[in-house]
Amino acid sequence: MPGWQAIYQQLKDKNFEIVSVAQDTNGVKDAGPWITAANPTYTALIDEKHLVSKLYNMVNVPTGVWIDEQGKIVRPNEVAFVDDRFKNFSGLDSAPYLNALRDWIEKGDKSMYTMSEERLREKLTVNDPNIILAAAEFGLGEHLYKSEHLNEAIPHFKEAQRLNPKSWNYKRQAYALSDSKRDYGTTFMDEVEKAGGSKVYYPPPDLAPGAAPKDKKPQW
Amino acid sequence: MKSRAFTCVLLLFLLVACVSVRGEETHATIIYDDHETKISSANEDAGQLWITTLDLKRATNFELKSQGVCRNELCFPVPKARQQEFVRKSAGKTWFNIVAFAGLVHQPVAHDEALATWYFGLRSDQRQGLSSLVAPDFTLPDLNGKTHSLSDFRGKKVLLLTWASW
Repeated sequence: MPGWQAIYQQLKDKNFEIVSVAQDTNGVKDAGPWITAANPTYTALIDEKHLVSKLYNMVNVPTGVWIDEQGKIVRPNEVAFVDDRFKNFSGLDSAPYLNALRDWIEKGDKSMYTMSEERLREKLTVNDPNIILAAAEFGLGEHLYKSEHLNEAIPHFKEAQRLNPKSWNYKRQAYALSDSKRDYGTTFMDEVEKAGGSKVYYPPPDLAPGAAPKDKKPQW
Repeated sequence: MKSRAFTCVLLLFLLVACVSVRGEETHATIIYDDHETKISSANEDAGQLWITTLDLKRATNFELKSQGVCRNELCFPVPKARQQEFVRKSAGKTWFNIVAFAGLVHQPVAHDEALATWYFGLRSDQRQGLSSLVAPDFTLPDLNGKTHSLSDFRGKKVLLLTWASW
């Protein structure tokens, strides 16, 4: 978060806002200390029900989405690192993403990093009924956990993980509320290894020049 | 002695009858739009959940109208030929099958049998935002409990960023 505050300081006068949203079932209790420590001047919200992940079909954190002045998505869900603290784990350098972000803030729609509508739809829309149902199972698990029925919540968290195995949020949040070895027979790092290791845990942002060609339509 | 045995059998019969009637009407907890409502008389039947139209309004803000199942301007017509899947009348009340309705509006339902809890996820109309590429709006609190909506920032470029403590 301190990293994002520095970026925000540089860019906030360019008609730019950061809206950060903590995906934490325990809300203020878990996310609060981090926000207090960073004391950001950008908008820092708390999302106990993982509503934003649900609405945008996000499967991991940190995830960034670019939204233009008209409220339209111009770059979809992707990993958004602000510094290289996790570089040893992810193998990802934060600089290309931050440079792309600065490019978009400067050039807006003309930035080569905004995507065509067709590609955006392809990356954003989810029609798989299993993935849609997984969100409901996760929501039920959260509700039961919060009404002090952790044991009853576990089968629903497991079902969410089974229906949407790509969601790291479903795994990591559930493990964090539990003893994951005892209740899920696994750990986060075991799951990362199973998925092919930490270097594939975060698919890298698609930032190569020309990787995001825009529709060749004139801008009026 | 005979009459006492008869009375006993009669009482037993009444007790069983009572239990079976009570067995049909159960408690249920509904979570709709992430909002919890306790329902004291629901009817669960082969994976379907029937609640009164009063409870429907209480739990979901939807109402049964002549044009369909409606909340403000949002209305879902109920197919005429399938009316009995959604609505039935008994004991002077109108009952509505909220699970069948979820199927109609392509809404996922998760159910915990032991705790009689039903979670209704996002309806298709709530998920469609993404294909229009309009960023789905949300309203959430900050650390001080003050709420902010994404749409408050119209006119600015926004980096929407999720993170977590875990």
